[in-house]
Amino acid sequence: MMRELLILRKNHIYRFCMVLFPVVVIFFFTSLMDDGLPTSMPVGIVDLDNTSTSRSLSQRLDGFQMSRIVAHYPSVTEARKAIQRNEIYGFLYIPKGTTEKLMASRQPKISYYYSYTTLAAGALLMKDLKTISTLGSAAVGQATMRAKGYTDRQIQAFLQPVKVDLHQIANPWTSYNAYLSTMIVPGMIMLFIFLISAYSLGAELKFSTSKRWLEMADNHIVTALVGKFLPQMLIWLAIVYGYEYYVFYVLQFPHLGSPWMLVLLGLMQVLACQGFGIFAFGLMPSLRMSMSVCSLWAVLSISMAGSAFPVMGMDGALQSLSWLFPLRHYYMIYQICVFNGFPLIEAWFHFAALAAFMLLPWLVVKKIKNAMLTYVYIP
Amino acid sequence: MSIFHNIYEGIVNTCFIWRKEMTQVMKDEGVLIFFILVPLIYPILYSWIYNNETVHDVPVCVVDQSHSSLSRQFIHMIDASADVRVAYYAQDLDEAKSLVSRQLVKGVYLIPSDFETNILRMEQGTVSVYCDMSLMLTYKAIFQTVQLVTMEMGKEIQTKLGGHYTVREEVIAARPLDYADVPIFNPQGGYGSFVLPAVLMLILQQTLALGIGLAAGTARDKNIGRNLIPVRDPHYRATLPIVFGKAACYLMIYGVMGTWLVAAVPRLFHFPQLAEWSTLLALMIPYTLACIFFGMVVSCMVKYRENVMLLMVFVSVPLLFLTGVSWPQSNIPGMWQGVSWLFPSTFGARAFVRLNSMGASLGDVLTELRILWIHVGCYFLITLCVYRFQIYRAKRVIHSVLP
Repeated sequence: MMRELLILRKNHIYRFCMVLFPVVVIFFFTSLMDDGLPTSMPVGIVDLDNTSTSRSLSQRLDGFQMSRIVAHYPSVTEARKAIQRNEIYGFLYIPKGTTEKLMASRQPKISYYYSYTTLAAGALLMKDLKTISTLGSAAVGQATMRAKGYTDRQIQAFLQPVKVDLHQIANPWTSYNAYLSTMIVPGMIMLFIFLISAYSLGAELKFSTSKRWLEMADNHIVTALVGKFLPQMLIWLAIVYGYEYYVFYVLQFPHLGSPWMLVLLGLMQVLACQGFGIFAFGLMPSLRMSMSVCSLWAVLSISMAGSAFPVMGMDGALQSLSWLFPLRHYYMIYQICVFNGFPLIEAWFHFAALAAFMLLPWLVVKKIKNAMLTYVYIP
Repeated sequence: MSIFHNIYEGIVNTCFIWRKEMTQVMKDEGVLIFFILVPLIYPILYSWIYNNETVHDVPVCVVDQSHSSLSRQFIHMIDASADVRVAYYAQDLDEAKSLVSRQLVKGVYLIPSDFETNILRMEQGTVSVYCDMSLMLTYKAIFQTVQLVTMEMGKEIQTKLGGHYTVREEVIAARPLDYADVPIFNPQGGYGSFVLPAVLMLILQQTLALGIGLAAGTARDKNIGRNLIPVRDPHYRATLPIVFGKAACYLMIYGVMGTWLVAAVPRLFHFPQLAEWSTLLALMIPYTLACIFFGMVVSCMVKYRENVMLLMVFVSVPLLFLTGVSWPQSNIPGMWQGVSWLFPSTFGARAFVRLNSMGASLGDVLTELRILWIHVGCYFLITLCVYRFQIYRAKRVIHSVLP
């Protein structure tokens, strides 16, 4: 174990991958989405009507938090080209004669266009553009009904007979930061744990120190493994708890679960990942292959965790395959027990799965020992 | 004569290194994984994952405390929508909450007992929505459905209340200003069609950098004194032939892989494919070259072959975010925008998305193309410098080892 500490200090790669990179990743994602929701996204206006009514419509749109009007275009074609040039994400089209038809109650039609090639921007702008169009419609109805002498309450009840009362549980700001960072950052930390676990075993072979390593543990492979991974585990735990503290207590991300749940989840996360890394190396006792597998698996798991695109929307085979990814289980436990604050029993299956990942190395302990004693590093 | 002779020799050396590099790549299974296997399989996997594009029939739970014809109509309309399916009926919110906690439903619609009474009294009726926010797409489905349904019901109630003479009058009274909702480019809002193009471009850059880095690591393992370049071989004397020879080898492999990534995969999985081949070629040539030289620069920085994996794999995900597909480019903080300028993938992915998914012309992505060409130039020059330095170092090491 003391020897392991020395190795950890000597080889720069550990310092980078265990401390520096995870910290960079944590700050990258939390600062990237600091706003929570994208604000002031550029939109355009195609106003062929040019009346005070149409101008007030575009002014009100500009007042919305998410949209910012950057340009007026003379035609729809021009505006579409501006989208293709990446200048705006969407635009509002008010054709000629809109006000005139509105006054004569001949039901004019306005349109709004938005690009779905950036899904988040498209969906959020759609909300703004739709609201402004509905408001435009409601404003006219309101004016007519006022003139007829209805009270405000009557008008409201007439214009919107059924009201939606929305409760966004645990994330009332619809913050993308709280939603994406809490999955991607642990996913990245898990990637580093995978890689470093496989790397530190493979490095013994590569620098042909494996025999000495086993001798120090009196040829007990389990003692050797524990001695090797205990210091690493402590560092990982420090990183994971540091991340959790920073995100949930400094940045105040929503978490309804108890702090003990966070502690438990962090421990499970680190152990399961180390288990997976050791297992991958045991299956393929070659530095290069096991690291390739670990990195490919870890990158895939960010998609398979199903927080961006839900697992229930995937094909049946993929739904079962998602069980093979530790991040999936981590995400489910996080989501059920920390984010929504339900009791642990609701996530028992995922908890058991993580525990199974922890135990995986038992299957390959013998093979690792064998590899350490007999294999020669082939570049 | 001597100039021509030098040029001739340079070309011969280039070709020799090209062939040598090719055989080395083919023999090294680690490199082959990243050059051939990953670019072949990853796009298929991702396309498979995202092939369903949108979520349909999100399970929800209804708490109907009104038990009236209007509330039943509401439930029917919710159930009939494409995105939401009424999976359970609960007696009260507590029961509904336990359903949410068991992951059986993603949201709860609560219809209070005074729902119909209020509407018949010509007051506002309320529907409460409780939404599990852990998945944005299901939240979107649940919320948008209830908005649509309440608007639809509202319109019906309005027409009944209005007391108008003709149908046309009723329509105008309900909505004096009509509007059309037009999503353009990727109109169904599919998740795969939006994220895949950027992922494809990123796969190209990352696999190239990983493959080149691994190949360089192998070379270091084999050569004397852990040098990148076997200077004792007479072919490996000048910088230019080495760089050109290696680049030609990678370009040859990625001519094939790139075509597969940008032309075959989107077609296979029916993602939007609006660009013509000539436009794609105009983008892919600078992009591939920029990635190759970028990879060669990275490969000089790593000492052992495994380190490149530790370095390159984790940047993939942040790079995907920096391309601006999932988080809008206009909202990326300035500092990270600056970092993103270092990587070819940022501009390659942006240009590809706009050419291929939005049908833009080459003129519309001129900025990105220019930057990519600048990347090619800069990374080429840096490659030359670092290779020259490597040769210099190798010679020195050789001299110290063998006096």
